[in-house]
Amino acid sequence: MIPPILKNLLRIKKFDISVSIILFITLVGIIGPFVYTVDPTALHAPPEVPPNNKYPLGTDSYGRDLLAQLLHGIRSSLYIGLTASLISLAIGVTIGAVAGFKGGITDDSLMLVTNVVYALPSIMLMMLIAAYLKERNPLFVALIIGLTSWPWVARAVRSQLMSLKSRDFLAISRMAALSDLKIMFEDLIPNMASYIFMAFVLLMSGAMIAEAGLSMIGLGVTRGVSLGIILYWAQLLESVRRGLWWWFIPPGACLVSLATSMLLLSTSLDEYFSPRLRGR
Amino acid sequence: MLLKVKDLSKTFIVGLFRKKEIHAVRKVSFNIKKGEFISLVGESGSGKTTTSRMLLRLLKPSSGSVIFEGKDPWALHKIEDLKWYWKQVHGIFQDPFASFNPLYKVDRILYQTFNLLNVESDAEKEHLVKESLKEVGLRPEEVLGRYPHELSGGQRQRIMIARCYLLKPKLIIADEPISMIDASTRAGILKLFSDLRNNYETSVIFITHDLGLAYYVSDRIMIMHNGSIVEEGTPDEIMEHPKHHYTMRLKEDVPLLYRKWKGF
Amino acid sequence: MSTLLLEAERVKSYYHTREGTVKAVDDVSLDVENGIILGLAGESGCGKSTLMNTLMMKIRPPLYLVDGEIIVDGERISKMERKEIKKKIWGVKISLVPQSALNALMPTKRIIDFIRDVVKFHVDVSDGEIVSMARKRFEELNLPEDSLYLYPHELSGGMKQRAVIAISTLLNPKLLIVDEPTSALDVSTQKRVLKLLLDLKKFKIIDSIVFVTHDIAVLRQIADRLVIMYAGKIVESGTLEDVLSNPKHPYTAGLIHAVITPEPEIRKRGLVSIPGEPPNLINPPSGCRFHPRCLHAMPICKKVVPELVDISNGRKVSCHLVKS
Repeated sequence: MIPPILKNLLRIKKFDISVSIILFITLVGIIGPFVYTVDPTALHAPPEVPPNNKYPLGTDSYGRDLLAQLLHGIRSSLYIGLTASLISLAIGVTIGAVAGFKGGITDDSLMLVTNVVYALPSIMLMMLIAAYLKERNPLFVALIIGLTSWPWVARAVRSQLMSLKSRDFLAISRMAALSDLKIMFEDLIPNMASYIFMAFVLLMSGAMIAEAGLSMIGLGVTRGVSLGIILYWAQLLESVRRGLWWWFIPPGACLVSLATSMLLLSTSLDEYFSPRLRGR
Repeated sequence: MLLKVKDLSKTFIVGLFRKKEIHAVRKVSFNIKKGEFISLVGESGSGKTTTSRMLLRLLKPSSGSVIFEGKDPWALHKIEDLKWYWKQVHGIFQDPFASFNPLYKVDRILYQTFNLLNVESDAEKEHLVKESLKEVGLRPEEVLGRYPHELSGGQRQRIMIARCYLLKPKLIIADEPISMIDASTRAGILKLFSDLRNNYETSVIFITHDLGLAYYVSDRIMIMHNGSIVEEGTPDEIMEHPKHHYTMRLKEDVPLLYRKWKGF
Repeated sequence: MSTLLLEAERVKSYYHTREGTVKAVDDVSLDVENGIILGLAGESGCGKSTLMNTLMMKIRPPLYLVDGEIIVDGERISKMERKEIKKKIWGVKISLVPQSALNALMPTKRIIDFIRDVVKFHVDVSDGEIVSMARKRFEELNLPEDSLYLYPHELSGGMKQRAVIAISTLLNPKLLIVDEPTSALDVSTQKRVLKLLLDLKKFKIIDSIVFVTHDIAVLRQIADRLVIMYAGKIVESGTLEDVLSNPKHPYTAGLIHAVITPEPEIRKRGLVSIPGEPPNLINPPSGCRFHPRCLHAMPICKKVVPELVDISNGRKVSCHLVKS
């Protein structure tokens, strides 16, 4: 069943472009640090050197190699994005599925919790939690983002489930006396798989942007490098005003292209899975 | 009496703060004998589908009772009892595409029934599935192993009926089973229902908006309007001497093939 | 001698899709005379809606007009620019109420505002004139005038359908095409819509109607002529009485025998179903497209496409069984 789906998806241009960009940057982030083995935190180079043969992307005001920073930055941004989105997905899908499937009081109370978290401005919440932590490694940042960005997933999964529940094939399975669990795993979850995957992609791009946002206000990782942290330092030392373009453009471009291509990917998946948008 | 329905009602409550009650079904009562073919005729929103879901034990009634062979399906909770009920009372729905989970091969619909039947060996199961398909006029090799979207509406609905041939329930509740089927192939599907009745004494409740269809297939017609059954009788009684004004209007407004409307 | 409002000559319109070319309308010729109601019957997927869009030249990829000519009231619209057709033909000479007409109105606009936009596109008149025109027309057709000032969601399904029909005929087009206007409606509402169509013709607002449906019993009530379509082709046409009482094409006979109405005659005669299923139009059967399902098929049916021939006074059949 998988190959024909992939074949059809590959026919969609948006899908091809976005997947290639994501794969390319991801590979750079994973393999890059092994090939280019310069320590991103070492302060041994001359400061603020524009790109040249020795430092392909130049150096920053502290004399750190910016290519090394970028490669490690991509890696940890992807790590934070992946971890945070998996956490939100786990919470969101569980709460949404239980609420949608059980209904009644369970539904009401779970949705109350969800709406409360939803209504809280998540950046405030992130700031509060982040400010209390003296030391923040990428896992902590991912946790902070993951724990605050699940509510829309819960709501979306719940409403999807509600509409699936009223579908005839569910009644047909019910009349075959299948257990709730079996119906859940055979009829409901597989039909939401594409939807959950789209949510995952969206969450991931959101999480990476959120990481950059936290970093920009000085609440990002305290250990290691991330794309947000590079931008934070670039901003702190006024790289834009001083024309140090090699400092802020590469990480900014990476972040923007990752986030945009993920949005594009989810749009193309949406078009593929909901025929209404296919524009017949 | 196979099925006794007494004062069956369903009220939906909508709105979070200003609650509004919608009386979808109001005090519906009727009985069905073994082998009887009855139709429940009503327009959209008359409550006929809600009634069918309650009889199929898919939707809990607000009040009133359903008694099938002396048992109230809503008092059954043990899985064995539920299996018994759905083995005896089974449903077929309007949209033969929506009845299939699009991710699975059509075989699943048929093999699901073995959850309700006592069949041990796989060879026996396969044999029964193939037999049931043949009974509804399908060639097993043409449909087994395929996905629902690869079949036509007629074929899909026949597979749903094959499910009933496997189960041989005592009562089938069919909700608009032919309204989405091409006209030229409808008669064949209708015949499958009458065959079930003739060969196995299955009772059928046919739920439809089509008075002509009800007139053609049923022993008895019940006319439903605004959640209530307003009139009940044999097809000829209903068509020749309608008593309720709603029935009269319905009869007057149905387009006929052999007669032209007056004033048109 | 009645004049022809619409002439379609050997029209072919195909969908070009990834799976292949769908020959939805394949070599169809159709005339609509002045002053008649023509009923076009066929099952879902037989190409009847595509044919109507083609007659209007409402053709957009993936649908293409491959061949043929369409003449509406003397104008060869098959050769016209789309812009010109939009301005001079649609709504003015010929109007189409499509199957999805219930969603045709703008949800954010009151009916009267919608009318204003539509009318202004075609003719240069003041707002006041448009309002009085619309009020007069609604009054004439016995539609509640208040509904002009409502939003579409405030109207019932039947009222919406009638409003769409009234708006489509506001500029007095000669020909109105309605595609399955009543299949989503309850019988009483259906009757009201049919009455409206008859009134439009009675008051000479329009001259002719093409009524597309799968429901022959509905056509029995209002149509003068009947055209039967199967798998992208016209198989039979003639006056309503002739076709219903003496169908010549086996498919027509089958279709009539599948009609179910609450009449004792239906019980007496029984229901007959045609074996098999309508074909896929990407790969239609050779020769006569009906031959795999036909009980009277002969060797020739598999090989030669039967022509639609006139057997007497405009009665046309496309079948090898019928000798002209």
